[in-house]
Amino acid sequence: MDTYSVIPIRFTLNGDKVSIEAGAHETALTVIRERLSLKGTKEGCGMGECGACTILVDGKSVNACLMAAPQLEGRTVMTVEGLGREGKLHPLQEAFLEHHGVQCGFCTPGLLMSAQSLILETPRPTHKQVVEAISGNLCRCTGYQQIVDAIQYGADKTGGEE
Amino acid sequence: MLTHPAYARPETLYEALLFLKTHGIDTRPLAGGTDVMVDLRAGKLKSEYLLDISRLKELQGIGLSKDGLSIGAGVTISEIYNSPLVAKNAPSLIKSCAFFGSPQIRNVATIGGNVGNASPSADTVPPLLVHEARAVLASENGERTVALANLFEGPYRSGIRPDELLIRFILEPADGRFTDFQKIGRRKALAISRMSMALLADPKEDGTLGTVRLALGSGTPTPMRMEAVEAFLKGKRADRQTVEAGSRLMAEEMVRITGRRPSTEYKEKAVQGLFLRILAPLVE
Ligand SMILES: Cc1cc2nc3c(=O)[nH]c(=O)nc-3n(C[C@H](O)[C@H](O)[C@H](O)COP(=O)(O)OP(=O)(O)OC[C@H]3O[C@@H](n4cnc5c(N)ncnc54)[C@H](O)[C@@H]3O)c2cc1C
Ligand code: FES
Ligand code: FES
Repeated sequence: MDTYSVIPIRFTLNGDKVSIEAGAHETALTVIRERLSLKGTKEGCGMGECGACTILVDGKSVNACLMAAPQLEGRTVMTVEGLGREGKLHPLQEAFLEHHGVQCGFCTPGLLMSAQSLILETPRPTHKQVVEAISGNLCRCTGYQQIVDAIQYGADKTGGEE
Repeated sequence: MLTHPAYARPETLYEALLFLKTHGIDTRPLAGGTDVMVDLRAGKLKSEYLLDISRLKELQGIGLSKDGLSIGAGVTISEIYNSPLVAKNAPSLIKSCAFFGSPQIRNVATIGGNVGNASPSADTVPPLLVHEARAVLASENGERTVALANLFEGPYRSGIRPDELLIRFILEPADGRFTDFQKIGRRKALAISRMSMALLADPKEDGTLGTVRLALGSGTPTPMRMEAVEAFLKGKRADRQTVEAGSRLMAEEMVRITGRRPSTEYKEKAVQGLFLRILAPLVE
C-alpha cells in the first residue's frame, strides 16, 4: 500500500464537486477555510470544544478541526455557505436574525450547522432536543435562550416550506 | 505545531494488517480522530504514518449471536446510542454514550478509539467491564481474544500490540439484570473532579443480591472492576447499612489500588457518593 504526504481528494462541497490535494497534517477546516477560502466556517479552539468549525458531512454535524483532510474523500459536505441561496436566507438564518440569536456572530455558522443537522433528523424538535443538539457549540454573547428560540422557530418555518 | 505524518488508506482489513506488520511501530491507526487529531495539533503525535481505518467494513456492525452482543471497533458513539439492540442488551453502555462529549464528537468518535486511547476516564470502558467484554484483536498472524479487563497496561497504555487492530467487542447481554452508568465531572474539568461507575446486578426474589459487577472509571490508573466490593455485596440484602459499608469499602479499595495523593480526600467522597447513587434503585 502506498503512503502519501499529500493525496488527491475529491468531495462534494455545497453541491459542487471539488478536487484538491491535501495531507493528513491538514484538517478539513484548513482545507475549507484556507485552501478553498470559504470563511464562514470558523476556527475557535481547534480542539473539538467550541463547535465554531461545525460542518455537515453526509448530513451529520462534525468538528472540521478534528477531521483529517483526506477523510473528506467521497463525502458530501455542507458549510454555512451552502445553507442559504444567493440573495435568499435559509429560514434558520432568518429566524436567528428575528429572534436576536446573533450578537458578535462568531458562533453562528457552527450553530446553524448543528441546527440543520438536527432538523434533518428531527424536523420538529422539542426544546430539550434543541438544547442537546447545540451542546457542542459555545456562545460567549447570547446566553443561548434566543438561539434555542430561533432554532425552534426556524424549524417550524423550514418544515412549513416543504 | 502540526507534525507531518504520511497518510495511508487501506481498502481492506488485510491490507491494513499487512501495513502494520512492517510499519506498526511507526504508525498510529486513525479512526474518528477525536484523540489522534488533538494529539497531532498539540505536537504529541510522533508517528511517521497515520493509517486511516475509519472505512474498514470489517470494523463495523452491531449484532447479537449465541456468543453475545458484538460491537465493531469502528462503530461510532452515535451509532451505539441509536441501536435498539444495545438498548436492550447493554443499557449502561447506552447511558455512557448519552453523556459522551457533544453531538459532533459522538458522530465520529468510535468505541475502538475510546478503548485504544486507554484513558483512565474513557466512558465506554466501565460499562464494557461489567458486561465482561472480550476484545477481539487481529494481526497478520491471526486473531486473539482477550478479556478487556486484562488488556490495559496502564494509563494511556492500551496493551494493543503495534501490529494489531481492535476488531470488535463481545459483551455478555444484560438479560434483564439491572445495569446503570453514572458519571460526575466534565472531561475538561480538572481530573480530580471526574469519576464514572457502571453496575450490573441481579437482585433475587428474597431481596438478596445475586451477581454484582461494579467498575470504576477515573479513580484508578485504568478503569477496573472492584472485586472486593462485589464479593462484599454478593448474597447480601441491599439495605442502607450494607450499602453504606459497601461505599466505605469502595473508597478503601480505590486508595489501596491507586495510593494516596493530594486529590484522594476529594475522590474518596466522590466515589462514595457515586456508589450510593448507582445503588439507590436497588436499596430496599
Ligand atoms: C471535545 C471532546 C470531548 C470528548 N468527550 C469525551 C467523553 O465525554 N468521554 C470519553 O470517554 N472520551 C471523550 N473524548 C475523547 C475521545 O473522543 C474518545 O476517546 C473517542 O472514543 C476516541 O475515538 P476515535 O474514533 O475518535 O479515536 P481516534 O482518535 O481515531 O483514536 C484513538 C486511539 O485509539 C487508537 N485506535 C483507534 N481505533 C483503533 C482500532 N480499531 N484498533 C487499534 N487502535 C485503535 C488510535 O490509534 C489512537 O491511539 C472527547 C474528545 C474531545 C475532543
Ligand atoms: S474550532 Fe473546532 S471545535 Fe473549536
Ligand atoms: S454571538 Fe458572539 S459568540 Fe455567540
